[in-house]
Amino acid sequence: MRPHDEELDEEIRGHLAISIKERIERGEDPASARLAALKEFGNVTLTRDSIRRVWRHRWFDAAEALGRDLRFALRSLLRAKGLAATVVVTLALGIGANAAIFSVVRGVLLRPLVNRDEDRLVYIRQSQRGTAADNMTFSVPEVNDIRSRVTAISALGEFSTVDFNLVGLLDEPRIVKAGVVNGSFFDVMGLRPVLGRLLNAHDDGPKAAPALVLTYRFWAESLKGDPQVIGKIVRLGPTTATLVGVLEPSVPYPTDTEIIANVVSSPHHLGATMVTNRTHRMTELFGRLAPNASIDEARAELTAVEAGLVRQHPEAFSKRATTQVTVTRLRDQIASPARTILWVLLAAAGVIFIIACSNVANLILARSVRREGELAVRAALGAGHGALRRTLLAESIVLCGAGALLGVVLARPLVGAVARYAARYSIRALDVTVDSTVLWVGAGLAIAAAVLLAYVPRLPSQQASSSATSWLRWTRRRLGAGGPAGFGLASGIRITPGTNRRLRIFATTQIAFSFVLLAGASMLVATLVRLQTANTGLNMRQVRVFDVPPTATGVFGPKVAEFYSEASRRLATLPGVEAVAVGSTVPWRDAGTMPRAQVAVEGYTPANGEENPYAAMRIVGPRFFAVLGVPLLQGRDFTDDDGVGEAVVIVNQSFAQRVFPNGDAINRKLWWTGSLAKLFGLDKPHRIVGVVADMDDEHFVRTPAPMVYQTVRRMGFAGRLFVRTAGDPYALVPVVTRVIREIAPDQPVERAATLEDVRMQVLSPERLNAFVFSTFAGIALLIAVVGVAGVLAFSVSARTREFGVRLAVGSAPRHLLARVLSEGVVIAAIGIAAGAAGGFALARIAARFIENIQLPGALPVMGAAAVLFGAAAVASLMPAARASRVDVLQALRSE
Amino acid sequence: MAKHADQERLELLQGTLDMLILRTLLWGPQHGHGIGQAIRVQSDDLLKVETGSLYPALHRLVKRGWLKWEWDLSEANQRAKYYRLTPAGKVQLLREQDRWSQLVDAIGRVMNPAPANKE
Repeated sequence: MRPHDEELDEEIRGHLAISIKERIERGEDPASARLAALKEFGNVTLTRDSIRRVWRHRWFDAAEALGRDLRFALRSLLRAKGLAATVVVTLALGIGANAAIFSVVRGVLLRPLVNRDEDRLVYIRQSQRGTAADNMTFSVPEVNDIRSRVTAISALGEFSTVDFNLVGLLDEPRIVKAGVVNGSFFDVMGLRPVLGRLLNAHDDGPKAAPALVLTYRFWAESLKGDPQVIGKIVRLGPTTATLVGVLEPSVPYPTDTEIIANVVSSPHHLGATMVTNRTHRMTELFGRLAPNASIDEARAELTAVEAGLVRQHPEAFSKRATTQVTVTRLRDQIASPARTILWVLLAAAGVIFIIACSNVANLILARSVRREGELAVRAALGAGHGALRRTLLAESIVLCGAGALLGVVLARPLVGAVARYAARYSIRALDVTVDSTVLWVGAGLAIAAAVLLAYVPRLPSQQASSSATSWLRWTRRRLGAGGPAGFGLASGIRITPGTNRRLRIFATTQIAFSFVLLAGASMLVATLVRLQTANTGLNMRQVRVFDVPPTATGVFGPKVAEFYSEASRRLATLPGVEAVAVGSTVPWRDAGTMPRAQVAVEGYTPANGEENPYAAMRIVGPRFFAVLGVPLLQGRDFTDDDGVGEAVVIVNQSFAQRVFPNGDAINRKLWWTGSLAKLFGLDKPHRIVGVVADMDDEHFVRTPAPMVYQTVRRMGFAGRLFVRTAGDPYALVPVVTRVIREIAPDQPVERAATLEDVRMQVLSPERLNAFVFSTFAGIALLIAVVGVAGVLAFSVSARTREFGVRLAVGSAPRHLLARVLSEGVVIAAIGIAAGAAGGFALARIAARFIENIQLPGALPVMGAAAVLFGAAAVASLMPAARASRVDVLQALRSE
Repeated sequence: MAKHADQERLELLQGTLDMLILRTLLWGPQHGHGIGQAIRVQSDDLLKVETGSLYPALHRLVKRGWLKWEWDLSEANQRAKYYRLTPAGKVQLLREQDRWSQLVDAIGRVMNPAPANKE
């Protein structure tokens, strides 16, 4: 029905033609008739416009008005460039940080996995409460029992990790991390190949042909996505296997492996230990829920099955703790380590947003007070409350829009940084990309901020309030503007107590939230400094460590031991080398890889109610303690002959003090208990030949724990090389590699580092944490300082007259300085108190949802408070100085 | 838009133009010029409708569904847009006429109060 423009023109032309014709018929001459008709018609363009407006939607008018307001806002903001820039940058920081972190949160915690029907995919874990074993994994007999007894889970995928020496695929022999899986694994996981095929039921069992698939990342990065690899024959340690396929990109869990092989590829998996020993637990278990079964049913069923296992095989479980089974959705399981850190990050970003908003609110409020004259004029000229509010809204939309735009631009690189950071906690973060989430979050936050900010300033009250709708009156009441305000058209600014109070509240809010962030960050920094500077008692700079792993997992024996002692012998003759030793464990880097077990001692009965002591086992060669700088307290070090014939051990001080308080440890006998000990022949008596000082190779701050050292020679296993040098330890690396390759050409020599390097590497997540939170706290501090300075500067400039009067009646300038300074300090003090109280309450609430919430110690809190006080004082200094330098005459004349 | 139009229509009582248009079209379809002329003639030249108000009013009535238009040749052999009352328009006319007479009646009572003693 809506007419076209030509149609309108034709209608008007028709009107004129009829009118002219009538006039001519009445006897007018054509020229004057035409003129008269046009005159009678009036303004043709105007008429056409008002007709067109009839057909326009009412939103069109609103949009037009908004456009006008936006243009006006842009012009008026261009006159206040400094303010606009501060507001935009502050908002951009707040919005950018939130958008980036939310993208990562969404990518890691909320996005579904690529696996088929991923919500039916569960991860099953066996754990013991009350011991360190929160992930015991499963042994093969246990898996078989579970498989035969559950119905709520239709299929089980088994996954265990071993290292293989991979020969024949890459240029060099290399140790690769491999997953070993059963035939149903890929079916359970719901994954597809991108090339070739995956492992299936035909690849299962000891009779199948050895086969492996590559994970996508390994194939794409190390093999450059070469499609020719399918069908290649490679060597995995002693086994020869066929490469059958490449797995699609997927989240690797529980470990990121480079290849995945079938059971027959790994000699260890075929051994009797693996197949029959109930406590040889190294298998991770995945399950697919049976159709119609819920995860709760699976949980209940598995709990019952587990209880049965504990009843039937009590010897396989510790009596000190209750064993339990947990069933979690794989997606949740993968996300869980990152969950805490991501929520904390999101909270920190939220705090930054609040600080940014209060700061911006402050600036806007101060600006609107300066503008009261202008607003009053506009109100007097007939602008209603709605129109004024719309002007303010347009201004804050321009500001927040610009802030959001800059924030989203900022968020792009931030997403990458945050994702790399979060990848330390959840491998899924690596797949996070910048997507529309960033835009949506940015836009949402900008709109929230814009609406908030438009309602911060108070409008001049109108005498004729009839046009004000009830909600506007409500808003005014909310904003605390009671009665006709005392604004004037004069050039001076008057601040009502209400405005002043609001300014101070916003500044205090900023201080409070900054304090929370600062306290958190200083806690992390304090922890980091403590760890980084802790005296480990070891030779941190002159000892070079190397990973020289045995060429296949599970290979032990005299030949291995012989290789390590031969390597030590040859390396010791190199110039610059002071001493060489081998062992099982690089301090900190290999933490948690060696077992702990119970030790029985001849002639020692535990006190009532106590058990035999648990001790950590380490395997070391001769000279190990001398190389690392651990003092020998009693007895002797291992010699090259130890390990054949009589079994000997060295214990550490903690062990000796616990079991032999009288100091008579030497020549006493101990043996390991448990099924694993039996397997390795460790249940025979070992004579103690020495006592060494405690060294802690798991924590940087030493926490003494009982430890027993076995010899490399007897265990037939080492894997780590320790070389102490006189000069530059870095110059040695190629030489060491060459010497070892002379003995064994296929031998990998990897991850060379000094102990100090190891500490730096191991602490890098902590360092990154401290860095990220310090950055947040730094931003918050910066914004808060700007906020406090802004409030005081505004307050001082508005009170020039007051200061003039004070000076005139005899106040000393330094009194005024102290007065303004103290105002700043009071804001800081109230903010810090509120922040401390709020932060404490927040931690209490958070502790209900997140485990391991730590409250910062006294020192970091004091430090944060001191920094804030200092910052507030510095921020107040400039306005205070200005107050004390007020020119009396000018101030008194100014109004 | 309302403000602007209000001032132009001062000659006419607010809200009455729509009613006059509807009433005029009760005689049959007519084009814009004809409607304006008819109102002038009917009111003995007392009411003069500005085209700037007439055409927006016509289009507004079409938009509300009270009028329809069709193109036809005028007596001057000129293609013109003829407006016609719809059934809904007729109902609306009755409603407005009703309101109008109530209004005239009410204003009349205020302006010429009947003497209290009149029987």
